[in-house]
Amino acid sequence: MDFFNTIGLNHYLVISAILFGLGLFAIVTRKNAIVVLMGVELILNAANINLLAFSKYNGGMEGVMFGLFVIVLAAAEAAIALAIVINMYKTFNTVDVSSVDSMKE
Amino acid sequence: MMHSLIQLSIVVLLLPLLSFVLLIFLNRRLPRSGDFLAVGILGATFAVSAWIFWEVVVVSYDPSFKLSWSFNWIDFGDVPGVGPLQIKMGIMIDNLTAVMLAMVSLISFLVHVYSTGYMAGDKYYGRYFAYLGIFTFSMLGIVLSDNLFSIYIFWELVGLSSYLLIGFFFEKQSAADAQKKAFLTNRVGDIGMWLGILILYSQFHTFGYEEIYQHIKAGDFRMSQAWLTAAGVLLFMGCVGKSAQFPLHVWLPDAMEGPTPVSALIHAATMVAAGVYFVARIFVILTVDALHVIAFIGAVTAFMAATIAITQHDIKRVLAYSTVSQLGYMVLGLGVGAYSAALFHLLTHAFFKACLFLGSGAIIHAMHHEQDMRWMGGLWKKMPWTFATFTLATLALAGLPLTSGFMSKDAILAGALGFAEVEGGGIYYLIPVLGFFSALLTAFYMGRQIWLVFFGKSRAHLKPADEHHGHDSHGHHEAHEVPWAMRMPLVILAALSVFAVFSPDPLDGAKGWFMHLVQTPGTVVAADMSHTGVNVHHEAGAVIEKGIHKEVTAHHVPETEHGEEHGKHYGPVYDDPRQAAIAHAAHENHDLAIMYSSIVVALGIGLALVVYAFGFISPEKTAQRIRPLYLYSFNKWYWDEIYDATVIKGSLFLSKLFAWFDTNIVDGIVNGVGALVRRFGTSTGRFDNYAVDGLVNFTAFFVQSSGAAMKKLQTGKVQTYLVMVLVAVTGYVVYYFVQLMS
Repeated sequence: MDFFNTIGLNHYLVISAILFGLGLFAIVTRKNAIVVLMGVELILNAANINLLAFSKYNGGMEGVMFGLFVIVLAAAEAAIALAIVINMYKTFNTVDVSSVDSMKE
Repeated sequence: MMHSLIQLSIVVLLLPLLSFVLLIFLNRRLPRSGDFLAVGILGATFAVSAWIFWEVVVVSYDPSFKLSWSFNWIDFGDVPGVGPLQIKMGIMIDNLTAVMLAMVSLISFLVHVYSTGYMAGDKYYGRYFAYLGIFTFSMLGIVLSDNLFSIYIFWELVGLSSYLLIGFFFEKQSAADAQKKAFLTNRVGDIGMWLGILILYSQFHTFGYEEIYQHIKAGDFRMSQAWLTAAGVLLFMGCVGKSAQFPLHVWLPDAMEGPTPVSALIHAATMVAAGVYFVARIFVILTVDALHVIAFIGAVTAFMAATIAITQHDIKRVLAYSTVSQLGYMVLGLGVGAYSAALFHLLTHAFFKACLFLGSGAIIHAMHHEQDMRWMGGLWKKMPWTFATFTLATLALAGLPLTSGFMSKDAILAGALGFAEVEGGGIYYLIPVLGFFSALLTAFYMGRQIWLVFFGKSRAHLKPADEHHGHDSHGHHEAHEVPWAMRMPLVILAALSVFAVFSPDPLDGAKGWFMHLVQTPGTVVAADMSHTGVNVHHEAGAVIEKGIHKEVTAHHVPETEHGEEHGKHYGPVYDDPRQAAIAHAAHENHDLAIMYSSIVVALGIGLALVVYAFGFISPEKTAQRIRPLYLYSFNKWYWDEIYDATVIKGSLFLSKLFAWFDTNIVDGIVNGVGALVRRFGTSTGRFDNYAVDGLVNFTAFFVQSSGAAMKKLQTGKVQTYLVMVLVAVTGYVVYYFVQLMS
């Protein structure tokens, strides 16, 4: 019953796992490329939460540093991914990932 | 430097070859198919031969005349297992050669002349003369040869030309059959002859006659006497084939399918006499046993052929059997040791038989290719020239006095009588008895022929209609005398059948030039003691008394005196006691022979007249009365049937047997191996197809089908891939944890 009375590491991890699951769900199920990107952001943030939670309960600063890296990375990733989406739109005239399957065979 | 006569003889030999070469290649381009060339060349051949004849016979007139010349033709050096092997070619001219040269070239020339009339208009006119040319060449080669090897070559060449000429009308099936029969029958004899040559060669390493004589005389024959007898009999087999002696006589009557002038030249006068000539050449090496074989074969041949000739209807067949019979006489004569008589008969027979054949050719020509004597008759008025010459030759053949045939036949029969006496009678008397009986038959069938052909009324209309053949659209035309080109040879040949050509005494040929020049050579074989009782290893070779040829009418000398005088006055002196005894006895029996043969000839002709001229005895009824004998004769003693049943059926059976062996055993083995290999191949093939290829194909199939299955996973949709990654990772994690927990 301790789980409901005091907030510990596990709570963070659960939140993070839920967030990861939602992100994954969005990536797999959504058709819109933008939404898929948003799913990716969710997963990155889930990872960030994990990093920060481990950092807090471990007492070092390494986790925070990794968190900052991930944020930077996410920004770069978003920029590149959006560029890809724009090109994709230019090429296929759509942002629906399910209809872009020219890699087949 | 060669002797000029040798040079001349080479010219004689090569001229007919020139005729052959020119005509065989050019006959279509020359006017008249070049017959004038052939006749001209043969005329030249005869002229040169006559020159040689003149030089040898008339100018030299020496019984011991002999010229020879030879060169190394092939030198094989020292052959391992054989010894030194040199083959020589050469030419030998003695009196016999000179006479034969003149005879062959004269008859060949006359036949050429005659053929220009007889063969006129034939499709292959030029080729005919070319064949005559090669025949004359080979025949002269036989006559001029000085060794066994070259005589064998020319022997085969005359066989070839005979083959070509018998089958000259090769579009006719019977002619084609006859030429094959002649060739194959001769082959049997020639194999024997070749074996005989090889026996002598194996002993002496030479083919030359003279060397062989010398070697045998010197006693160089290392094997037993039986081998020498075998060699003699084997060499004689060549004569049996070529001279149509019993039992290889069957080809000669069939050879009458050839053109009639060819029958006259080859199958009466020259080629068939080559066998006799050859036996004369090897005469001195023949042992007594071999001579006995020869004598009996000759007697049987003479008798058998004479009995057959009686009943034949075909004019040429009668003459053919008469030829066989007369050749039998010659062989008989050689066998009994009457050497000169046999060769004399060869010469006289050549002329009168050639005359008879050319005469029959004239008749056939005049009768539009009718050969059956039953439908002839009454021709003597229409063809007086043919009639006269034919009759004269017939008289010579029958052996009437004043003809050449009388002298030669009589000499042979005297020799046979003497032989029988010396051999001690008994079975040996069969030989003269058969000889005289054949003489009777000869007179009879020749009388019959003359009567049927020339006398009585024409029976051409009696011929059954269904026997008419192609020519008979003009078959009822009147017979007419033949042109001069055909008449002239008949006259010349008939003239040569008169006694005066050969001897001044019509009763005794021994007084003539021929018997003087061609004398019995002394044997070189050691005397056989069982026959003479004298053990002499004599120096053989006749010691010939030159120049002594007195006109001693030995018949008038009393018996005892005559015996002593014998050697001096009559022919050669023999060192061999047997030869001497036979010559002596033959001479003593000369009068007897004249008497007997005159009686039998008179009987024969009388019988023919009684039967055919006066009609006292009907031939048909007699034939009915002795029907088995008549049929036996008419069917030629059934020799063709016997050969058909034994030799031909036998070889056919053998060949079928071998064919069966071949198809079933040999082919069976081959096919069995083939089948085995094929079966093995099939199974390895199957292994290849199913196992090896299966593996390879399966690999390919597996890769292909798995690829096909896998390619469905590649949808091209990123999200699907992601799900797969997710599933895989999840699966792995679950698996990891399950491992971890267990």
